Amino acid sequence: MSAVRPRARRSASILRPGSGLLILPPAVWVLAVLVAPIVLIGLYSVNLKTNLLGVPTAFSTANWKDFLPPGSNPFWDRFKISMTITVAVSVITVVAAYPLAYFLAFVAGKRRYALLMVLLAPFFTSYLLRVIAWQVILNNHGVFNSLLWDLGLRPHGDGIPWLIYSKFSVGLVLFYSWVPFVAVPMFVVLDTMDRSLIEAAHDLGASRLTAFLRVTFPLSIPGVIAGFVFVLIPTTGEFITPLLVGGPSSFMFGNSIQSFFTDTPNWNYGAVLALWLVAVVLVMLLVFGRYLSTDLEDAAT
Amino acid sequence: MTSAVGRLGRIGLSSYFTLLVLFLYAPLVVLVVFSFEDSYIQALPWAGFTTKWFHTAFANSDLTSALRRSAMIGLLDGLAATALGTMAAVALARRHLFMRPLWTTLLLLPLVVPYIVLAIGMVIVLHQLGYQSSLSAVLVGHIAISLPYSLLVVLPRLRTLDASIVEAARDLGANPSKAFMLVTLPLLAPALVASVIIAFTISFDEFAIASFIAPPGSPTYPVFLYSGTRTPSLEPQVIAIGAIVVALSMVLVLSAEIGRRWADRRLASA
Repeated sequence: MSAVRPRARRSASILRPGSGLLILPPAVWVLAVLVAPIVLIGLYSVNLKTNLLGVPTAFSTANWKDFLPPGSNPFWDRFKISMTITVAVSVITVVAAYPLAYFLAFVAGKRRYALLMVLLAPFFTSYLLRVIAWQVILNNHGVFNSLLWDLGLRPHGDGIPWLIYSKFSVGLVLFYSWVPFVAVPMFVVLDTMDRSLIEAAHDLGASRLTAFLRVTFPLSIPGVIAGFVFVLIPTTGEFITPLLVGGPSSFMFGNSIQSFFTDTPNWNYGAVLALWLVAVVLVMLLVFGRYLSTDLEDAAT
Repeated sequence: MTSAVGRLGRIGLSSYFTLLVLFLYAPLVVLVVFSFEDSYIQALPWAGFTTKWFHTAFANSDLTSALRRSAMIGLLDGLAATALGTMAAVALARRHLFMRPLWTTLLLLPLVVPYIVLAIGMVIVLHQLGYQSSLSAVLVGHIAISLPYSLLVVLPRLRTLDASIVEAARDLGANPSKAFMLVTLPLLAPALVASVIIAFTISFDEFAIASFIAPPGSPTYPVFLYSGTRTPSLEPQVIAIGAIVVALSMVLVLSAEIGRRWADRRLASA
């Protein structure tokens, strides 16, 4: 029995499968590619750096003052329009996805994981291609309008004016993109819910509706908020969908940022908008972050 | 016993779920159906069946070279992001790690920072360093956005591994790094494969960063797709290639899911 080794040392080596220094290469990568550029964007936003010829670099908050209220300018208005679209899409998506999650958790039975995959599969195909597919459907001479013409529901050649390049088309495609994904956190909460609580409500005389309103729904609120944030945060910085199916009335804040780096290069003003976008997303994370517990945080405790 | 959902509720919820699934698949079906449409314009009435757009698309060297570029960047991104993500996972799996919350936050940051900000940040950095926009720069950006996904796939798997298997290797005389290479890594294989596939698909589909940083003369595949939607003569080819990509990614997603379940069962029974 001489092979017996000190137990403590052995288990310690299992719990520490590698060196903590391995965190450095990935951390440095993210620092260099993500954090350092944001710092540089910060310098541009206060004119400590510039891409404009003949403009002296000196600390100035002029661009910030111009952008933020009360300095009325089109980009603040664009931000408000953009946030209206974002919040509306997030709310509608959550409302539409809740019954999907409810169906999977309480009706689908043994097939629920297979059906969840069926729901999610389109989400994992190319985002760009799905937007392009919608462009094909919604175009003025596209699939949907020509179908109406064929069926005689609209005079030939007369497309529905708000079908594409509108807030409707941007909202529809964003809704389409996110609805399966938003169902996931709500499904997880409903699926792992203690069913005996619902039974207890029934035993105490509650109707199905009362049991849902007083027990099931309140317990599922963390999943609802997580789903809401899952669509809120990426949509806040969206610019690809409006680029393809939106128009001047429905361009989002991301498109404003983009314009300062392509059409009319003014990196200093664009930097203000970009930093504002980052700040808005960080505030959202601070407000809702506790509903987004990941495996990482659970595992860390 | 009263069940949570009544009979009418069941019918209503099932119908709603079915309708929404149809809504989700309809655009994909439209894309595939109209890739066989004879006319330049994707509209009804149906002009006739053809496979000519597939031939035209594959004969278009601008399109095929864009596909090759994206496949190459995607593959390199898959390997690099998985390597970096696994490093991070191994470090975060330790019981004690200096400043753990900081590392976790930093590594998950690419999930929430808007890609438009990341893209213009990279434009500014490249300018600052005096570099031209290049495909390598696109790859660098793709690795950063794929890294958290790799971490989220590998770390949970690392935690479910049966510690006694690694313990056995150590008892049999393997040093920690040998035990990692010979025992932990093979057991991680399903997660590593999943991570490579996920990172590949993220990169292969990524438009925001590439649209700013890919050199104008050598677009990646999504950048080419986007320019194709603005050029009516290219649109049918874009749709043909799109139909193939959608079909392939459906197969990939479903086989990855089936593979993951198979691996789960195998680990559970081991």
